[in-house]
Amino acid sequence: MHDPFEVRMQFLGLIRKLNASQQSIQKVVAFALKYFSRCGEDLWECIIEECQKGSINHRINILYFLDSLCETSLLAKAHQLPEQSSSSSKQVNNALYVDYVSRDLTQIVECVVPVGRQGLPNLPSTKQILENWRTKRIIEPQKVDEVLSLLSSRDSAPDTTSTSVAPSAAKSEPHLSRGEIFKRIEEDRERHKRLRERRWVQAQPHSGSAVPSYSMFTLASFLPLSDTENAELALDIEFENEWEATSDWNEDDVEATAEERELCHPHLKRKGFTNDEDEGEQEMDIDLS
Amino acid sequence: MDSGHSRVPSPSQLPASFSKYHHPYFTSAEVQHLSEKQRGKLSATQEEKARQQACGFIEAVGSKIGFPRKTLATAQNLYHRFHLFFPRKDFNYHDVTLAALYVSTKMHDTLKKPREILMVSYAVRFPELAAKSKSVGGEVDMDPPTAENDRQRLLAVERLILETICFNFTSKMPFSYVIKIGRKLKASKKLIKCAWRLTIDRRVTFFIVVHLIFISERNYSHRTLVPIMYPPNTVALGCLYTASLLTTLEPPPSPLVEAQLDSRVATILKEKGDWERTYMAEAEDLEEIAHVLIDLLIQAAQNPSANTSPRTPASPSPHPSPRNQHLSPVGTPQPPPIPYKADQLIRLKIMMRQNEHPLRPQQPLGSADPSELYNGNDIAMLGRNQGTVRFLFGPPGIVGQGV
Repeated sequence: MHDPFEVRMQFLGLIRKLNASQQSIQKVVAFALKYFSRCGEDLWECIIEECQKGSINHRINILYFLDSLCETSLLAKAHQLPEQSSSSSKQVNNALYVDYVSRDLTQIVECVVPVGRQGLPNLPSTKQILENWRTKRIIEPQKVDEVLSLLSSRDSAPDTTSTSVAPSAAKSEPHLSRGEIFKRIEEDRERHKRLRERRWVQAQPHSGSAVPSYSMFTLASFLPLSDTENAELALDIEFENEWEATSDWNEDDVEATAEERELCHPHLKRKGFTNDEDEGEQEMDIDLS
Repeated sequence: MDSGHSRVPSPSQLPASFSKYHHPYFTSAEVQHLSEKQRGKLSATQEEKARQQACGFIEAVGSKIGFPRKTLATAQNLYHRFHLFFPRKDFNYHDVTLAALYVSTKMHDTLKKPREILMVSYAVRFPELAAKSKSVGGEVDMDPPTAENDRQRLLAVERLILETICFNFTSKMPFSYVIKIGRKLKASKKLIKCAWRLTIDRRVTFFIVVHLIFISERNYSHRTLVPIMYPPNTVALGCLYTASLLTTLEPPPSPLVEAQLDSRVATILKEKGDWERTYMAEAEDLEEIAHVLIDLLIQAAQNPSANTSPRTPASPSPHPSPRNQHLSPVGTPQPPPIPYKADQLIRLKIMMRQNEHPLRPQQPLGSADPSELYNGNDIAMLGRNQGTVRFLFGPPGIVGQGV
């Protein structure tokens, strides 16, 4: 299949049949990646179009598809990088479709979560996906924050849905059957579960270094230390995320620390901290009775 | 693994049921005793090398999967613990490290199936195979019987590891305390970041320190320390203290306020005071931790080549991208330039020794042999119905009081 028109038509067919299953998503992802170098821009246009025209359910399916597309794009890029020889520097720097997602993020989110009541079913999932992209630095945190604040500013606005419906969702949504509603609930549950399972995965910096030789053991302390986040270092990204997520020292920490201390020095009193002079002389009695 | 068979007591000799207590922390005397017992014919240097290799492997596989620091830290911890009770000669380090990683993923809820972990380990061990792979992520096409065999061994070691922790799946890490306590002490973010990294490196200190025990007992036995010897708050404070000392080696950061705050951290943590009550730690412990960490940095600064592998990646890039700063023209990853000079660090140590807290007496070994906690007999007893074993989550005396 060499004709870009044919490719586009086939892709449209695939994406219109896209459903919530992993199988369906991976099929479309594989196709999109296969034809990226030839007509990536074209295929991207198809995605945007479908996002604008499709039903609410279809749009959230597309967003999950984009999540997979980004993940797979980065994986492909990391695996390919050492071997890319003749590519221009432009090619080296982009991560296939990720750049398109980043560029058109606001537009996509506005389609997936249109203003008004009809967008609400898609709101929690969209936020989850956006936060995931932010934590893993798939999209620049700044960009994600912009979009997230756009969404939350809508939350606080009064619900004047009947008068402020976006043109793209002007047609009234066909009334969903009971079966369809349950199906959507089930799909959401599966997808949230899958997202949760991946939530802990740390950012893999875009430069995608070659597989490290496992005997090379550089001290973390020897890595370059700067005031701001070094996007090339997975370590720095993790620290920044921890910095933002960690609460201040509080009563729970006092409690946890006291408990742990007791495990370490069982002979010390639990309440308060006494400077026990006998500490050095007591034996650690290991009871095997 | 068959060495235990001859030592299995006959059924009539075994008690009807017995308890095993989780012993989360060890004294230096216990560490010394246990290490000596398990070392066998290996020299201390060989043992250290084996540990380095294992920890490096955990690091490589773990970071490729994308595990957070806590998962990697616990995995290394579990590996160290395991070999306090089981000899290295009886186990392949790949099996133990991957099993440790697997247990750690369960403890920290960062789950990954054994098969998935194995696949990534193959990519790390055989990069040439990974490069040839047709799959998107570079997965190695390992032949199924081998993979299954490896998986079974991983699960077998997992069981032993679980017994060494008495199935206690909680694990308190110092990383969040570094941030919490650092903020409360009003340290700069950069200092806290430095301390956070030291917390990672602290995992390395196990083998450096045990090695030092055997070089010179007189000088070092009272300073021996291991990640499983101090609770996480103490470790966090130790790293913050060390980081504050290290900032004195660099030119002060541009906002003078930050420099003052950071040096204030050093002043506070150096002396005994109210903070010890607040954070439930002792200045002497912080000092010990600082010494070991600085020794580690000195050693690494003096021997940069010791930190790299003789085995370099098989396919160096012929066209290194300018973005891959760490790749030299021939494609061998070079370690980044070391930020601290060995002589600076040595001078720091000397300065620290001048105003030290008095030595505390070392805690002697208890009456029971700590290696009896979990021993090689367990291997022979696996799967046999020899009475009930109660696994308790804490040391005797603590168990039953909310543990």
